[in-house]
Amino acid sequence: MFNGFQGVLYRELNVFRKRAKKQILASSLSPLLFLIAFGWGFGDRVAVDGLPYITFLIPGLIAMSSLNQSYGIALELNITRFYFHVFDEFLIAPISHVEIVLGEAAYGMFKGLLSTALIFAYSIIFSVKLVIGPMFFLAILTHTFLFATLGITIAMLVRDHGDQATVNTFVITPMIFLSGTFFPVDKLPAVFKWLVYALPLTHSTKVIRATLTGGDVNMLYLLLMTGFAAAFFLTALWAIRRVEG
Amino acid sequence: MAVTETVKQVKNVLEAEGLVKRFGSKTAIDGIDLRIREGDFTGLLGPNGAGKTTTIKALTGLVKPTEGKVHYYGNDFLRHPMEAKRFIGVVPQQSNVDRDLTAYENLYLHSILHAIPRPLRRGKIEESLEFAGLQDYRDRQVKTFSGGMKRRLVLVRALLHEPKILFLDEPTVGLDPQIRKNIWELILKINQQKGMAILLTTHYIEEAEKLCRSAYIIDKGKIIVEGSPDDLKKDMGGYVLEVFLEDRVEEEFFSSKDDALARLKECGHACKIRQVTLEDVFIKLTGKRINV
Repeated sequence: MFNGFQGVLYRELNVFRKRAKKQILASSLSPLLFLIAFGWGFGDRVAVDGLPYITFLIPGLIAMSSLNQSYGIALELNITRFYFHVFDEFLIAPISHVEIVLGEAAYGMFKGLLSTALIFAYSIIFSVKLVIGPMFFLAILTHTFLFATLGITIAMLVRDHGDQATVNTFVITPMIFLSGTFFPVDKLPAVFKWLVYALPLTHSTKVIRATLTGGDVNMLYLLLMTGFAAAFFLTALWAIRRVEG
Repeated sequence: MAVTETVKQVKNVLEAEGLVKRFGSKTAIDGIDLRIREGDFTGLLGPNGAGKTTTIKALTGLVKPTEGKVHYYGNDFLRHPMEAKRFIGVVPQQSNVDRDLTAYENLYLHSILHAIPRPLRRGKIEESLEFAGLQDYRDRQVKTFSGGMKRRLVLVRALLHEPKILFLDEPTVGLDPQIRKNIWELILKINQQKGMAILLTTHYIEEAEKLCRSAYIIDKGKIIVEGSPDDLKKDMGGYVLEVFLEDRVEEEFFSSKDDALARLKECGHACKIRQVTLEDVFIKLTGKRINV
């Protein structure tokens, strides 16, 4: 049992291991740039929602960076599927699609958590105090699972790399900028507010920020995240089935 | 009179019936029937776009057929693929090994996916590497391998879980002649030593002719003829007289060499007698050359 899950994870982690240095280095750069530009740039002269801006920003960066990493498995899956056809090995093996999705999702979560740990390290350097409790872990696990399964869904639906880039440009990047990672969404005009509350990242950023800064966690948002996670898990399964045409 | 026979019953590994696959309005395969028995060495031959790869994909679970039935040892493959999948080994057209993993890791991955019991894995993998002649490259990343080495690795990987039938889609395409020969020898060894049934597609028809004990010729998604290469050639007549006209070569078929010689003598053009090849069978039936 679970040999499908194990196999997928064995493959992904071993491939990761060989590129770990490069990957970690690459994923550590962009949050650092944001921290230098906005964190030091604004410093503590700016307060947002009653928090120094850098304290507001770091949970947003955690949400953004872990999303980038978890969702980022889409690109790897794409290469696996279209260039090297390694994905066929999974489809030919006597393993269920559920195991493939869970294995890939676990890998995405692993990458998301790694980037989270990295930003925790930054928060020490920038001497920002964060509260890391069980609610935070619940939030970040749900968050990374939901974006990993979204990544699997997209990777299975697109026809090539070009499609993948289009999705990133028109969906993922706008979402990252609009979902309250860098500024509170409640400042947005009403029309935009509707739009951003339809995006899963808005909810997970709010929950992650609340857990880390000792604020109140809105359970409805956590529930919505769970809903998104369940939905994307199902779309990932459906998308893999579709690959077999 | 009671006759007691001790003929060993040869079981069917694979039976496919009325296999159809449509992509939108395009029909890729159109009612394919196949039967492969234990130890068979069968070729699925046809020109590009005939439906060979789609057939293999439909038989191995990479593509869901629109209609039809597939059974492995009587197990319904389309309804319950898990039970049937353990009988199947697949060597796809592209050597889809993981470039970043070593040869050993590639095989180890396969052993997990196919639920080979943990204590047996190591031994089986070492044995496979030796069978492929790759034992010295065990811990090298596959991206450093040549095309032929990758092909051998994919081959032994497909055998690791000891399937009953091995599917090979153009196993030698894009390889140098010397390496091609080497791969064919390996495939033959798999068939003979391990008694594994083989179903392969190829457009190197002269190579298929030497190796396959039976062949299906497929064109436009349909099987047009099946039989052993010898029988198929005999049905054509066995001998060809090539008549070299000014602008083209005309082929005439004869069932004996004497008949062909008699015709040769009365023929006013330059002529040549040769034996019928599977290629002739193919051209006669489809009107197309296969090696295009």
